Amino acid sequence: MLELRNVSKHFCGIPAVDHVSFSAQPGEVTGYLGPNGSGKSTTMKMITGLIEATLGHILFQGKPIEDDPIGYKRRMGYVPEEPYLYTHLSGAEYLIMVSQLRNLPQRESAERIDGLLRLLSLYDDRHASISGYSKGMRQKVLIAAALLHNPELILLDEPFSGLDVASALVLRGLIQELAVRGKVVLFSSHELDTVERVCTRVVILHHGKLVANDTIEHLRSLMEQPTLEGIFSQLAVEQDTESVARQIADLIHA
Amino acid sequence: MHKSIQELFERLPREFRVLYRQFLLRVVDLEALSIQADVIGFLGQFAGVLIMLSMIFVVRLVGPTMMMPPALVPAFLSGAAWSSEQLTISTMMLVVGIITVITWDATFPDRRDVMVLSPLPITPLTILSAKVSASLSVLGLAVLMLNLATGLVYPSFLGSLHGSLWGVPRFFVAYWFTMIAASLFLYGSVLTVQGFTSLLLPRRVFLRLSAILQLVAFGFFLGVYFLSPTIPTLAEWQAPENQWWLACSPTYWFFAVFNQLNGSLPTELAGLALRAWIALGIAVVGATASLMLCYLRTMKKTVEEPDLVPGASGLHWTPRLGNPLQSAIVHFSFRSLTRSRQHRVAFAFFLAIVFAIALAVLRGELSTAAPEPLSPDFLMSTYMMMAFAILGLRSVFSLPISLTANWVLRTTQLCPSQKYIAATRRSMLVLAVVPAWLLSALLSFPLRPFAQVGGHLAVLALFGWILAELSLIGFYKVPFTCSFLPGKTNFQIVFWGFFVLFITVAIPLMFQEWEALHELSLYVRMVAVLIVVAAALWASNLYRAKSAILYFEELPDEMITTLGLMSM
Repeated sequence: MLELRNVSKHFCGIPAVDHVSFSAQPGEVTGYLGPNGSGKSTTMKMITGLIEATLGHILFQGKPIEDDPIGYKRRMGYVPEEPYLYTHLSGAEYLIMVSQLRNLPQRESAERIDGLLRLLSLYDDRHASISGYSKGMRQKVLIAAALLHNPELILLDEPFSGLDVASALVLRGLIQELAVRGKVVLFSSHELDTVERVCTRVVILHHGKLVANDTIEHLRSLMEQPTLEGIFSQLAVEQDTESVARQIADLIHA
Repeated sequence: MHKSIQELFERLPREFRVLYRQFLLRVVDLEALSIQADVIGFLGQFAGVLIMLSMIFVVRLVGPTMMMPPALVPAFLSGAAWSSEQLTISTMMLVVGIITVITWDATFPDRRDVMVLSPLPITPLTILSAKVSASLSVLGLAVLMLNLATGLVYPSFLGSLHGSLWGVPRFFVAYWFTMIAASLFLYGSVLTVQGFTSLLLPRRVFLRLSAILQLVAFGFFLGVYFLSPTIPTLAEWQAPENQWWLACSPTYWFFAVFNQLNGSLPTELAGLALRAWIALGIAVVGATASLMLCYLRTMKKTVEEPDLVPGASGLHWTPRLGNPLQSAIVHFSFRSLTRSRQHRVAFAFFLAIVFAIALAVLRGELSTAAPEPLSPDFLMSTYMMMAFAILGLRSVFSLPISLTANWVLRTTQLCPSQKYIAATRRSMLVLAVVPAWLLSALLSFPLRPFAQVGGHLAVLALFGWILAELSLIGFYKVPFTCSFLPGKTNFQIVFWGFFVLFITVAIPLMFQEWEALHELSLYVRMVAVLIVVAAALWASNLYRAKSAILYFEELPDEMITTLGLMSM
């Protein structure tokens, strides 16, 4: 189980994430939602260990992650929000490098890389430089790199970004399948339809603060909203979106 | 002055001004700089190095005249004039050559330019003129800085030798005209070659060939600079052994132009001046034509080009070079070095010096009857090759390849820092020490006594190991993941510090080894001392690495940019 206890992150005294507490259980997909700038990616980076929390604790399987960072990294897979990769490498070279850095057995990882490249439709372009890959292809490389070592905890920050319809459907099924196989999956996305289909429970963040942490079913009945979009709009959208759209059209028309 | 230039600039079309500013910033490749880089400081340091070079040339010519009786000064200046002028022209051509290589792609539209600018109502001619102006501005600044001292002092000292009242101003005009013409010739020649290659070849092939051409050009400029002889007298200009150089090297052609404009050209050399004028004409016309055609024809071709370029077919062999972590870091270093333009060029600078030394050694070797015993000069040459290979790689290690992608190394850091530092050492040994050692072996074995060569190669290997350990003191990083801070690091101080240290160590070592190669007991003692030094450095680095924290820089510091209003 992944657990966040009163986690805060301040930048020069300004809170980006403010006393956030929630947990993600094995066997279920937890959606992590919030508008732009609400602190989702900052939280993800704290969970990966890329940045340190100013306050609070992050625990995995009951132990603070800083107690055994190496052991924790062995069990964690992460797909970041932006597809930042070493673009001078080919897709295959990148995955081989990650497998070597993770010290995976050579033969086993070679087979796994081969399989992942085939299943993610990257095999034909595996020796091409990543600099030429489309955004979706880069995203697939990130997904393959995150799953290569069969992690127990999977952190997905906007994993559908740039994927075509077929790949998105594969990924949606994959996320559910991983949860069924007992993985802890924390999944951040702006695609509420997908979140609604994939996630068991959602955590909603607004201005760095937790505004909801419950199952989607319970939130629906509690807030009397038929969809997650309605729930999200009530909790985290401050603007009258239709009015803003009209104003933009008026502005460029003037 | 500044205000009038500003006003003149403001009169130019707005699209041109905006693009010019953008391209001027991109001539300095921002991708190679750190998040915290000080670009202005970097350019300031670059200008400072050029001014310093100019001052050195002035001191070299004028310094001795301060210590000699005034009656002897004209004779000294007459004797030194030709060599000083040739040195200035050839150095200037080298600097211009290096700048054309560093700004290799800056004049041609890249895919990003085409994708961003094509949908906008801007003509290709505006883009072309903004790009050329930006490149020429940097080039002009470099020429100005490099000749700042020589361009003022040489005319007053050497121009007065002609006796007439107009000698000084005429020398001044001839000097600056020659420098500008030589720069334009070199810049135009490179553009002509690039432009016509891009027109004649499919874009995909051109991009691959362009990277090779860039390296070849770099090696060529440095090779010509280091290998060309200085020809200080007319008698030597007419000597048969120098005719090949005179016919092939533009440095001598523009030296002839300078003397022609200055009114001191011997009739025997008029042909060389004519050659320079023709070459200049061809370069300017060729560059203009190729650039115009390129902008009109290849912009569309660039858009039509598919994003995905298939990888090279054939061998994709990744040999094991130690444990998996070491293999990963060495392969990553090798690929970064060979595939990134910035890193290739930066490393090529040092490699070109290595190969220039190797060529000079080979030239000397081939002219002697083999096999001859190892000479101190030969030993020093191999030390220098080893030192420049290590210095080059260590410098390039500090240029980041992609700071934003470093997260993967952090999230996969499953070993203690010392293992990463050991992998960095392995990269240094595999990519610098071993190639420099092999090159030295290749140069020595066919031409020198076998036993002596074996002895020297053992010493050279230890010397390389010591230098590698020295270069990695305090380097707790994975290669290519951290910033070089242009303008913030005192590169000149580091470079010259290294140079002084190298000379201090290498000269006594050279004589010591030369003696030791003739006396076994001395040789054994020397090798034992080198082993102890190398092992002590290795142990010290290893000890410090145990408590080191691996440093990555992929994110700016946790801070909010302040406006500094508190101090107002």
